[in-house]
Amino acid sequence: MTIRSTCRFEAALAGLLALFLTLAGNAQVPPPKPPGPPPPPLLRVFLDWPGADIEAMKTDIPFVALVPSLDAAQVRVAVRPEGPPPPEGQLRIELSGLGEFQGQNNVLTYTPGREEKPEDVRKGVAGLIDIGLLRYAAKMPVAKDLSVKFLDQTKPTSVNDKWNFWVFSLSGNAFLSGETQYRSQSYYASISANRTTPALKIRTQVYGNWSDSWFDLGDGTAYTSKTRGRGAYGLVVWSLGQHWSAGGYLEAESSTYSNTKMSLSAAPALEYDLFPYSESTKRQFRILYRIGLTRASYYAETVYFKTAETLLQESLNFAYEVVRPWGKASLQLQGSHFFHNVKFNRVELEGSLEFRVWRGLNLEINGSYTRIRDQLALSAEGASFEDILLRQKQLATGYDYSVSVGLNFSFGSTKSNVVNPRFGTGGRSISISM
Amino acid sequence: MRRPWACASALILGLAFFRLSGLAQTPPPAGSQNIDELKKTAVKVFIDCDDCDLDFIKTEITFVNYVRDRLEAQVHVLITTMATGGGGREYTLTFIGQNECRDLQDVQKYFSSKTDTDDEIRHGLVKILKLGLMSFVARTPIACRIAVDYTRPEAGAAGSDRWHAWVFSLSGDGSFSGEESYRRNMIDGSFSANRVTPGSKLKLGLSVDTSRQRFVTEDGIVTGTSSSYNASGLFVKSLGEHWSAGAFAEAMSSIYSNVDIGVTVAPAVEYNFFPYSQSTRRQLRALYKFNLTYADYREETITGKLRQFVAQQSLSLALDLREKFGTVSLEVEAQEYLHDLAKYRVNTFSVVNLRLYKGLSLYVIGGYSWIHDQIYLMGREATYEELLLRLRELPMSDNYFAAIGFQFQFGSIFTNVINPRFGSTGGGGLSIHMD
Repeated sequence: MTIRSTCRFEAALAGLLALFLTLAGNAQVPPPKPPGPPPPPLLRVFLDWPGADIEAMKTDIPFVALVPSLDAAQVRVAVRPEGPPPPEGQLRIELSGLGEFQGQNNVLTYTPGREEKPEDVRKGVAGLIDIGLLRYAAKMPVAKDLSVKFLDQTKPTSVNDKWNFWVFSLSGNAFLSGETQYRSQSYYASISANRTTPALKIRTQVYGNWSDSWFDLGDGTAYTSKTRGRGAYGLVVWSLGQHWSAGGYLEAESSTYSNTKMSLSAAPALEYDLFPYSESTKRQFRILYRIGLTRASYYAETVYFKTAETLLQESLNFAYEVVRPWGKASLQLQGSHFFHNVKFNRVELEGSLEFRVWRGLNLEINGSYTRIRDQLALSAEGASFEDILLRQKQLATGYDYSVSVGLNFSFGSTKSNVVNPRFGTGGRSISISM
Repeated sequence: MRRPWACASALILGLAFFRLSGLAQTPPPAGSQNIDELKKTAVKVFIDCDDCDLDFIKTEITFVNYVRDRLEAQVHVLITTMATGGGGREYTLTFIGQNECRDLQDVQKYFSSKTDTDDEIRHGLVKILKLGLMSFVARTPIACRIAVDYTRPEAGAAGSDRWHAWVFSLSGDGSFSGEESYRRNMIDGSFSANRVTPGSKLKLGLSVDTSRQRFVTEDGIVTGTSSSYNASGLFVKSLGEHWSAGAFAEAMSSIYSNVDIGVTVAPAVEYNFFPYSQSTRRQLRALYKFNLTYADYREETITGKLRQFVAQQSLSLALDLREKFGTVSLEVEAQEYLHDLAKYRVNTFSVVNLRLYKGLSLYVIGGYSWIHDQIYLMGREATYEELLLRLRELPMSDNYFAAIGFQFQFGSIFTNVINPRFGSTGGGGLSIHMD
């Protein structure tokens, strides 16, 4: 049966390919490009500034070609004094796009300082023209040789903010799906208040989720599954220089999946980053220590004959992340244990790698392994057949793992920038993150 | 009262008698006090991008202020993407001037290649974003602290394309997870060969997916297996700015749908009410397909067939809009079998993600199908395990899914600060990614 279907499948495939190669033969091949690269053209600018030192301006604006007539220009730059005569007045700089840049205009002003010499004024105006011309240059090959630099460091908090960086957020979400014999609905809602400044980070949230699914078993009976969860958390982190941070977590949680009726915990924590935090978008190596006291009560008596207990737990977490031109990598190792019996512990290793091995060859690996010895909340009741198949209860286990490996090799004309949206681009993918 | 914006002043500049009120400072000494004062008058930017590394943008471009609400911004940067023939992406950055800068508009493009890594793409985007923002920055006093560097190029050779626009891609993925009483293994592989030019598009693809789940229960071990194969082809010829014609072809096999082997060839024609050149922002496409299908079933179907040859026609209408206020995508498709017109199906699909008013955003994603054409269903009933694990398609007259949500934010409008301490999770916020 299997062999037969494979053969048929291949035959059908060969037929298809033959059909398409015929079609491909009819496809229009664009004429070959003329050989030999022309020198990359510069932006042609006509500078209309009576009395200006054009030669000096050529040096000040190096990425354009100043042309003597308006006919040859792509952009006209007109500089005119405005208001009272210098030194009190200012200069009006008008940029007008011509030809392919028709309609792309801008008006800038330059106000010379009282002490400024004519040469400084020229340099200042040239600096503003430079910046104003970048939008046109960005559309030409010369763009790849240009870079923009900001000469200062600023504080991100240098703004006039009447809310003092507090952001409040309400969110509600519903996910519904169904067919004749199956229905599922889940809801998620949250309220949060966050404040982020370089010196202090505050995160607070209250959330709840409900999820039901319904199966028609065909024999007149139906099976319904329900999971519920709700909770709240707060996080405060103080910055202690470029490498250290201190703070604490407050959490309240309730979940039918993990048999937790209510769990309340408070955990102070301390973090050290081997790299300065300011490099965090490029690399981080954070070591986080956390010690927490938890009061937990359970829906059903646990396998350790508890319906409620107070627990002290500590954890240490190492997290390394790096983003580089070759790709990106992250590795995380976490260990934790309870104090009343150190045999109740957990070790978790997690890593991911996206690596460009060679040109079009990319490797992607994600993996995690957890050694689990701390399932204190596990219900003594066990799980039903449906609980297991629908994964609606946590089950006893000594480990869990997940590995995924992906390899992609692309070759051919991979630099082609042609966009052709006809007949659609082949499906959509939507992801919602909250 | 805040210091007046340079942009605002530049706007009024068009009027005859304009008195400048303290903007366009002389180049200040780079004292930290002064620069922080300048920063307060920097351009307010709203970055509207589903797929950008915003933290990186904010750490690299520090001469503007970032706001979380589009209406507060002086420039709304709408970044839309389309797939390119080379397998990369075309990023279209539309700079929409607002409030004091509403006279200023610009469009810039950036192309990533399929072989670019995330770091290369985010650097490329930051560069074009900086260049595009400069027209706005030039109107604020902080402009005097910007320098433009130009390195004179060496003569570079432009390569001719010896691959004639063909791009090939081979992928394999394996994913394995489990614990003591549960295991799930998934393996898939795919190959594609594409040739995309403005005049035509040719896409060939092959893919194989298998998945196996294993549960340990008191009654023994339950396993669930699903697998599917698919080979597909598409050829489209461009006929001007609004019309296209071509054909789809597919060979597939799927346990879920009870199809051992199904082969379909479908000539098709499409009309786009908007010019194709505006596709990154708006499309309204009507596509007519005429499908000829031969199917060989795994198990006898509900009508007692083991194989079948059928003709089917379908018409679909798809609207895609990407505007300042959000994303609207609506699609409706109707199909029917020609041998029995009562065997039909209507699919609808919608994505609406709107930024309605200050801080309030809303999304509705949904689909509803009327299904009266399941001629391929197997004759027997699904087992209990097949039912719970959703391994077999079941008879149905309709199906639906919906995701509805809202978010209301208030408080500080500025989002300049990156604080990575204790990890960056739990920031809240909602984002919808669409490809």
